[in-house]
Amino acid sequence: MRATLLICAKDLKTRLRDRSAVLIGIVVPLGLALIFNSIFGGISGNSKAIALGVVNADRGAASARFVSGVLGAVGRTGLIAIHVEPTAARARALAAAGTLDAVIIIPAGFSARVASQRPAEMQVIGNVDAPISTEIARSIAGSYAAGLNRVRLSVATVLAAGGGHAAGPPGRIQALAARAAAAAAPVAMADVSANSRQLDQKSFFAAGMAVFFLFFTVQFGVTSLLEERNDGTLARLVAAPISRVSIIAGKLLTSFMLGLISMFVLVVATTVLFHASWGNPVGVTVLVVSAILAATGIMALIATFAKNSEQAANWQSVVAVILGLLGGTFFPVSLAPGILSRLTYAAPQAWFMRGLGDLRGGSLSVVWVPALAMLGFAAVTSGIALTRLRHMTEV
Amino acid sequence: MKALWIAVSDLRRMFRARANIFFVFVFPMLLILVLGATFGGSGSARLGVVSTGSGPLGTALVRQLQRTPHLQVVPVTGAAALLTQVERGNVEAGIVIPPGYDRAVRAGHPAVVRYLARPDQSSQQLGETVRGAVARQAALLGAARFAVAERSAPSFDAALARAKQVSPRLPAVSVTETTAGTALFPSSLGQFAEGAWSQLLLFLFLIALTGAAAIIETRRLGVARRMLSTPTSPGTVIAGETLGRVLIACVQALVIILGSALFFGVRWGQPAGVAAVVILYACAGAGAGILVGTVFRNEQQAAGISLLLGLGLGALGGCMVPLEIFPPTMRRIAHLTPQAWGNDAFAKLVGHGASITGILPQLGALALFAAALLSLAAWRLRRVLVA
Repeated sequence: MRATLLICAKDLKTRLRDRSAVLIGIVVPLGLALIFNSIFGGISGNSKAIALGVVNADRGAASARFVSGVLGAVGRTGLIAIHVEPTAARARALAAAGTLDAVIIIPAGFSARVASQRPAEMQVIGNVDAPISTEIARSIAGSYAAGLNRVRLSVATVLAAGGGHAAGPPGRIQALAARAAAAAAPVAMADVSANSRQLDQKSFFAAGMAVFFLFFTVQFGVTSLLEERNDGTLARLVAAPISRVSIIAGKLLTSFMLGLISMFVLVVATTVLFHASWGNPVGVTVLVVSAILAATGIMALIATFAKNSEQAANWQSVVAVILGLLGGTFFPVSLAPGILSRLTYAAPQAWFMRGLGDLRGGSLSVVWVPALAMLGFAAVTSGIALTRLRHMTEV
Repeated sequence: MKALWIAVSDLRRMFRARANIFFVFVFPMLLILVLGATFGGSGSARLGVVSTGSGPLGTALVRQLQRTPHLQVVPVTGAAALLTQVERGNVEAGIVIPPGYDRAVRAGHPAVVRYLARPDQSSQQLGETVRGAVARQAALLGAARFAVAERSAPSFDAALARAKQVSPRLPAVSVTETTAGTALFPSSLGQFAEGAWSQLLLFLFLIALTGAAAIIETRRLGVARRMLSTPTSPGTVIAGETLGRVLIACVQALVIILGSALFFGVRWGQPAGVAAVVILYACAGAGAGILVGTVFRNEQQAAGISLLLGLGLGALGGCMVPLEIFPPTMRRIAHLTPQAWGNDAFAKLVGHGASITGILPQLGALALFAAALLSLAAWRLRRVLVA
């Protein structure tokens, strides 16, 4: 035990002194999180009201109902900002420039056409680079049109029962239309609000960079066993009255401690420097410790297959980069369709990010599944690594 | 001629390590694939739909949603799973068409579909699109129910059949849609193109920067000293080392360009234009890499700094988020990086089919970067090598 701690303390001292570990474990991830945050912080992703223009060239009853009734209600939600524009030409120019995401134009004579059961049309002009907002504008106009069509279709369906020609006594159509308009809509939509279990942008960059570089930071511990073997100091360690297990444990502990120091500094620094919110400290600790163990196990296992420390570092970097990409540390790969999003489960980083996201929207108990998944990676990989490491120390 | 040999030996040294092959060629291609699959052509919002047990009318509503443009319907098995998907952001929002939906509509009871949205704006806004699809379905169903209520049809099914028959001939209130403005990128661009050129620029520079470590190794192992002890002038060694880094970048670019064209169908545009951008950009990258290599003494430190610089400049230069959506001030700052000019050039070449004459300002800017960085690098390299 004492030997293990001594080896670990000596290794930690060397690593912190040569600054490489500090660079990879702290400076680079913190720097990148800061850079990403300051560059992308000004770009609003999900939280922008749609700028919807409306041109009412009609000024009749039906168009007034739409503009003040429907659009008025839509505007009050704060999700869509309604801009009344005087002319279609001006509105089109604003949509072309992207100042407005979309415009709804009600042509002159619209209300008269609606009242007299003739075909009527509303026009939607959307900015070419805002297809989803344009579709939303089209749907708002479409919902109103569908309501008008429901009444027309209701009347026509009843009349069609008589062979389509017998309109019956005069005024029957008006009476039918009035009753149809009063009938309740057959399908209603109820809004249910869900929480968000997503990390905000700042916390996403902080967590993503921290866990991506964690897989590089822990390399410094285990790989030093290969260095010691090449330099011949391993033979001397084995010759000393220290058990092999103590030596291996010392190296693994070094990895763990390097990971712990780096993650601790990063969590504190990103919280203080740009107010990243990691979540419940207990939950974050559980996730961080599990992630460090998983990273240590995986990187140790790879090291056991390498001939020397250089080769180990190369292979470890390749695996760390692939797992980091799959784990969604740079961008959420879980959005990808099909097999790709399922592949993310193979990366401990994905469990880490998912755990932090869930912690954001739920209680503490949500961390157990991702934590256990990461501990599973840790147990399997370090189990195999340990048996292989014992062979390696046989000189 | 000697300089060329030095360059070729640099190239061979680079690719002797298998891991380098991964980082230079394979990883960028992997990123192009994953980025394209995740975000490429993402002019659609993803809507999770639970419709288990909702019957034929429920299926009809799902079909209506599927027909809605720019809406991608993602089937989900149950309400609990849908909630998780929405909360985790895997889908923008969700809709639950309840079991018994079909029965309720037929019986004239109010049927309620639930719309699940997160607090963020885009999730809530999508509600209007779903409401529109529901309203279109409701027009038919409402007419059928009205006919039953008016006792003009014997059953709901008969009324619905009649409403469907009448509907196409009815003078309707309709909504037409047109678009205005010039598209950032034409829809014919394909889902991988933007990712391909931005990752090409990101990785050309990143790998060129890690060339710094190679320069330090050349110094540490005394390769440079030995070269200089032969009848080789410092100028030749410097030219050779520089040419080596440019050569590596050009080989990398060639493989990524051909690979992405072959595997992902990226059409790169006029070869002369692409070659001009790549060569000038490679020169700028080589200059930056050598410069970093002359400032640091430790290879691992140089690697760390290269990573920070390469990814940082890439982010600023529009390799991760397109420059077009940067705020104006940020966009101006971005153009202090060669990446931004490279992205602009490729946006014109690949995105809008420009030829080499259409990207002269971008080429000019890249040439300035290349000249400045290369001369600075040569001056520094001469000092550290000869000293």
